[in-house]
Amino acid sequence: MLSRRQLLAVSAGSLPALLSLNACKGPAVPAVLKGPPPVSDQTTMLLHAVTEEQNLIWLYGKAIAAYPELPLSPLLAEHRQHLARLSARVIEPPGKKVPGTVTAKPAIGVTRAAAVAQLRAAEQRAVQVLLSRLGGASPSLAQLYASVAASEATHVTVLDSAGLDSTGLDSASRS
Amino acid sequence: MTPAESDITALQGALAAEHAAVYGYGVAGAMLSGADRTAAHADWIAHQKARDSLEGMLTRLGATPVAASAAYQLPFAVTDLAEARALAVLLEEGVTQAYLAVVAVRDKTLRSFGALAMQPPANRAAAWRGRTIAFPGMPAS
Repeated sequence: MLSRRQLLAVSAGSLPALLSLNACKGPAVPAVLKGPPPVSDQTTMLLHAVTEEQNLIWLYGKAIAAYPELPLSPLLAEHRQHLARLSARVIEPPGKKVPGTVTAKPAIGVTRAAAVAQLRAAEQRAVQVLLSRLGGASPSLAQLYASVAASEATHVTVLDSAGLDSTGLDSASRS
Repeated sequence: MTPAESDITALQGALAAEHAAVYGYGVAGAMLSGADRTAAHADWIAHQKARDSLEGMLTRLGATPVAASAAYQLPFAVTDLAEARALAVLLEEGVTQAYLAVVAVRDKTLRSFGALAMQPPANRAAAWRGRTIAFPGMPAS
């Protein structure tokens, strides 16, 4: 059995070796700190919602350029507000940026009616997608999705009128 | 499963808003004529149906549905066409806001119900207002 003095001597002698070993390996890093944390499902859904608004904005921009007589600018302005509000809710995870690109660039309808129908279908799709995200969202984010979906549902109604009424969108109004 | 108290509270809020809308359209309709009056009548019926539906839901959940008040304090006097339309907008916005509160509950089925139920009043509000808005049901920022 080693005496206390022998033990101290062994410890003192092995200290440089221990230090050099630690210098090579570095301190042990917990697995959770080895890379950016995975993006949560809620954030992924939010990033998709941002992209979808960008796609709608792109489509409206093309439709307005092709058919400037259609009074679509108020609807486009509301989509820009949706995008701003949704983007503001994103807390960018490390290594991930709020998407800044449009992912769908379909050709715009070759007639006014086709373009309106295309916008209408896109709005309707957007409503359905937003509603499908309610369950996985926090209460306040679910409310934002529901409000944006309700706004886009009113766009569908407006576009319904636009598709039928050659005078524009005013027939959607009761005033 | 026993519903959460917050689920019942949110549904009662929606029901109270529907009661108010049923009353309010009675006032607004008296000042309207022609197509506006026809539209107001259709909207009044829609609110009655929504009210009945909510009462049924609450009863099935074991709650006692809130009753309508005998009378409501209107936010402003309704003496002409413009004021009647403005009241209709306000009623629809109130109902939309009440359903948005349902979207914040934990129950996923109720969330979907609230979100879908927001759409008709948001559409009616847009029709009476003459324009759409970006965030139906949300407080103006």
